[in-house]
Amino acid sequence: MSDDADAGLIDRLVLRDERAFTALVKAYERRVFALVLRMIGNPAEAEDLAQEVFVQVFKAIGTFRRESKLSTWIYRIAINLCKNRSKYLRVRHTAEQEPLDAQAERGAALDAKVSYSEIARPDDMASGKQAERIVQRAIAELEPSFRECLILRDVEDLSYEDIGEITGLPEGTVKSRIHRARAQLRDMVERALGEKIG
Amino acid sequence: MTDAGEDRLEEDPRGRDAMRALLKRALSVEALAKASPHLVAGVQRRIRLRSRGRFFADGWSTMQSRATYLLVGLMTLTVAIAAYFALGPWDMR
Repeated sequence: MSDDADAGLIDRLVLRDERAFTALVKAYERRVFALVLRMIGNPAEAEDLAQEVFVQVFKAIGTFRRESKLSTWIYRIAINLCKNRSKYLRVRHTAEQEPLDAQAERGAALDAKVSYSEIARPDDMASGKQAERIVQRAIAELEPSFRECLILRDVEDLSYEDIGEITGLPEGTVKSRIHRARAQLRDMVERALGEKIG
Repeated sequence: MTDAGEDRLEEDPRGRDAMRALLKRALSVEALAKASPHLVAGVQRRIRLRSRGRFFADGWSTMQSRATYLLVGLMTLTVAIAAYFALGPWDMR
């Protein structure tokens, strides 16, 4: 959606135009769902959270100051909700996993922790899919603040400026986190694959 | 998408590109979920509930399709015509 189209849409959204809001959801639902899914890793949680993103957008549209792009603002809401949900899921998971942790190896418990690992696919054994799963597990093990910067840059293809606005971080910090996230991810994936990438 | 700052930090751009391609593939919606869901109905329902019916109060009027309006219009017209013929001031003699 272009900036001009966004401007017209925002005017109508501020007036609580229900049709405009429906148009907004249709325009952004795929992007928001994809981002949230990449951050959370679980499709059911992602659908729930993506809906919540739009509810928050509807509630807060009056506070949108138009200093950033509408998409950037929506992404910021999405990222913040993902952070909160991840924290909640981690706490809940830790509470549920504690008795298991006492019995199982620490590594195995960590492996089970990531929601990406719950995605079962029949063609898992194919090497390409296996590599994808290794990456999914590795990305889930990254520190959330690193993960969000990496996903926004390398998967969503956003500029450093936009990532800075979304995360509230200075550009230098964004670059450094992306760099460190890439290094950590690459290290984890290469160790799991047993070969160098590239 | 790369820039000079990123290149300074990264020592191996070729490896970075390969890693990025793998990351994009692994985190594609197709790789993580069966399909991208339609969120409109769920979002409208949540707003309707939380606003206690102030917004999106009636499901049908918020639909994008014009067919709903047409259908309701035709039904109303049919009822009006039927009522006219049933109750109209006909001289039956």
